[in-house]
Amino acid sequence: MLALSGLTAGYHGGTALHGLDLDVPAGTVHAVVGHNGAGKSTLVHAVAGLVVPASGTVRVAGTDVTGRAAHRIARAGVGLVPQGRRVFAGLTVAEHLKVSHRPHRSPGAGSSAWTPDRVLGLLPGLAARTAHRGGQLSGGEQQMLALARALLGSPRVLLLDEPTEGLAPLVVQQIRELIATLAAEGIAVLLVSPSPALATDCADAVTVLTSGRVTAHMTGNTARAHPEKLREALSLATP
Amino acid sequence: MGVLDAQLVPAVDGVAYGLLLFVVASGLSLAFGTAGVLNLAHGTLYAIGAYTGAELSDGTWGGLALGLAAGTSAACAAGALLSLATAPLSRRGHLAQALLTFGLALMGGNLLVELFGADELPVRIPEALDASVSLLGHRYPAYRLVFIAMAVLLAGAGTWVLTRTRAGAAVRAAADDPQMLATTGTDPRAVHTGVLAAAGALAGAAGVLGAPIVGPGPGTAESVLMLSLVVVVLGGLRSLWGTLLAAVAVGEVQTLGVSLVPDWAPYLLFAAMAAVLTVRARRSALPEPGGGAGTARAGTAGAGTAGATATAIKAARAFTAAAAPVRRWRRPARTGGRYAGRARGAGGATGRARGAGPFIALCCLLAAVPWVFDAYSITLAGYALSLGLVAVGAGIMTGYAGLPTLGQTAPFAVGAYTTALLAQAGWTVGPVQLAVSCGAAALFSAVTGPAVIRARGTTVLMITLAIGELAGTAIGEMKSVTGGTDGIGGFPPAQPLWGAGALEGESAVYGYVVVVTAAVLAVTLVVLRSPAGKLLTGTRTAEERMRASGHPVGRYLLLAHIGAGTLAGVGGSLMINVQQYVSPADVGFEIAALALLAAVIGGATSVVGAVLGAGLIVFTRDWLSASWPGHGPLLLGALFVIAVYALPRGLAGIRFPTRRDGPRGTPATTPGNGSPDTPPSAAPSAPCSDSSSPSSPGSSSSDPSSDSSSDESPARKAPS
Repeated sequence: MLALSGLTAGYHGGTALHGLDLDVPAGTVHAVVGHNGAGKSTLVHAVAGLVVPASGTVRVAGTDVTGRAAHRIARAGVGLVPQGRRVFAGLTVAEHLKVSHRPHRSPGAGSSAWTPDRVLGLLPGLAARTAHRGGQLSGGEQQMLALARALLGSPRVLLLDEPTEGLAPLVVQQIRELIATLAAEGIAVLLVSPSPALATDCADAVTVLTSGRVTAHMTGNTARAHPEKLREALSLATP
Repeated sequence: MGVLDAQLVPAVDGVAYGLLLFVVASGLSLAFGTAGVLNLAHGTLYAIGAYTGAELSDGTWGGLALGLAAGTSAACAAGALLSLATAPLSRRGHLAQALLTFGLALMGGNLLVELFGADELPVRIPEALDASVSLLGHRYPAYRLVFIAMAVLLAGAGTWVLTRTRAGAAVRAAADDPQMLATTGTDPRAVHTGVLAAAGALAGAAGVLGAPIVGPGPGTAESVLMLSLVVVVLGGLRSLWGTLLAAVAVGEVQTLGVSLVPDWAPYLLFAAMAAVLTVRARRSALPEPGGGAGTARAGTAGAGTAGATATAIKAARAFTAAAAPVRRWRRPARTGGRYAGRARGAGGATGRARGAGPFIALCCLLAAVPWVFDAYSITLAGYALSLGLVAVGAGIMTGYAGLPTLGQTAPFAVGAYTTALLAQAGWTVGPVQLAVSCGAAALFSAVTGPAVIRARGTTVLMITLAIGELAGTAIGEMKSVTGGTDGIGGFPPAQPLWGAGALEGESAVYGYVVVVTAAVLAVTLVVLRSPAGKLLTGTRTAEERMRASGHPVGRYLLLAHIGAGTLAGVGGSLMINVQQYVSPADVGFEIAALALLAAVIGGATSVVGAVLGAGLIVFTRDWLSASWPGHGPLLLGALFVIAVYALPRGLAGIRFPTRRDGPRGTPATTPGNGSPDTPPSAAPSAPCSDSSSPSSPGSSSSDPSSDSSSDESPARKAPS
């Protein structure tokens, strides 16, 4: 569903990501782990169109979207839950849903479009707070709101940038379950996190990124069966 | 009851006037609050509507409808064009965009005069409305009552769109975080264009409907812009209700105020504006008070959320970003010489010698002028130098202290009128004139400084604008001292020294001006190169850290303000020697904008650049336009536009186009550095990391907004 080949990107003329190849089939969760500065967010931004890749291609459901503007990539079926949530502080939850809902978007085959009602059904915590502004929500609620915002575009590919950062264990558990639910809906999930725990818990494949390059790759089952392998890859990855 | 009764008509007039201003100002507020464009061409959009409406008005309903459709569409299209024009500057901060719109306003005003003539156009309203109705025993024009109803309708519709519809929510989301809006599939640029087009349509509609109240003429654009700015400032950007209240208050001041207290009315507006801004700036612990922060939470008063705070800081930083890139492009001797940590064996001495080069070159250039040019050009050069001193002051405020100012004409006026009055009284010794003028300007700046230095960002522009306008109004009103709008002239020329002969002839005056300017600039350069300049730079780039380090930041800024004012005072005194005449037109808003532009053209932190910028401006406005009469504003506007696009870092930035680019960009993206994982817009708002020095070039990487100069900025999306 999401296919990256030779993806190179960076900021200010420098390069943070060197020729990354990655394939995330529909209905699977692919975790990219790495330390701060490994290029994880650059990866997410390059896919979402917030950074223009220097070279390489980004394909969504077979369509080459490389270099398109962020809103076009979003319309091609890429949803982003950014690091730090970045909800619209001045908009109410209801307005978030209104702004991000794209009723005319057709999701991938085999899944139905996301509507505000369906999203609120999935995230009941938000339903009670529809009249509150984004800035008034707790961190967990903001994370749910960011997820809701991404889902309302009926994405085929969902990018999650450190979705559990700074959240309470209970909320982290909720998010794990949500990720599994969304993958079961047929969404290709690209999860980026510094934490190997989250990756091993819910990923079908795990990639370790070091200084913008892939230094290890394993299936989710391997990572679950041999968590030490992932740890080792990560500690080797210490810059 | 009698008084109330007598004032009923002006009071209702005030409501009509206020609602007119409300419709115009809400467009201005929308454009600034949600699209981030301080649109100084907004008055011109009104004028477009007013001229179109007046031209098509023929006393029939059809004429009014046609005028409304045509005027609104024309202004709407002009607004959309403004959006396209400002889009490439969106990463350059508000100052660049404001200067661009000012240039476009100058050009547009000139074109309007060309199309419709320099006279005020008469407006014919439909006959059915051209009657008067009885209002509590008074006859009152029916049209105004209808206008009140129309304005209320427009306001209601606008509020509804902004607060209840998806488009309105998208507009507010774009103001909050355009990148995140893009990731939901909405093009933030389209929203930006839509907002400016809608703001233009509002101004155009107001122009057509309001033409019978504020008719189309050459001065319309500026007066409407000024009044709308006052309304936006008084009302704040957060709530349409605030804007409405402020608009009606301004309308009442302009009608009821004139009727009740005619002597005080001219001062009321700008005094109220200055007072409100000062109080608001004092109340707020933030760098930028929410009211001027560019967070239009329209219709949601009291949205003091964390996000609003973050946006406020972002807006304030984005604003000074206009000056920030410049800092990196300055000669390395000043910014980097001592602190950059690079191998720089020769240290300060070499830097100082190298830095003096442009100044010496400037002096040589100035000395050559009398041998090359004719008398008129020499006079212009002298005038350019006096304006250059004002520009240097504006540059110190903008580039060093981070307080972009439109009020340097006030100390300039103080200096000019002081010298003029001294000369009139027989005190013709140059140094005495200079000393007294300097003192007066410094005193003035010391008194007004506290109001200026508490604010940050756009609010500074507004406060200084208010101070400048107040000073201008005071000069116009105190006819017995200043000669009012007629100005003062006919005083004896100055003597360069005690006992010396009077300055006769252009070359002698010019020589005097050059010597004084060179001396003043030399002192300025020495002061700016001393630790004082570094302290100011530190204050601008990392104010909280400076405060935390125990620096009395307020005192530094006040001293900078006084210094800038003193420079303007010298400029004013010299201008008198050059022109032998002064009138309020010499110290008006346009001159303030010119001084700011000169500083920006020069490179904001470059003293020599500011003087050259002033020279370029005077050359364009007075010398070039002499060969194409009647098109001075057009040429000047073109200069604004060209300067903003072609000289993003000013004249001072031309010299090192590529050398400084590499070392700055690379460290920020070195793998493992941590910053690539952080999108600039999500970076912490407080400058952190680099602790070597606030004035080192490297510290700019901790300021999210200062990344704006990079063409490869992450938010710059693919060619769309």
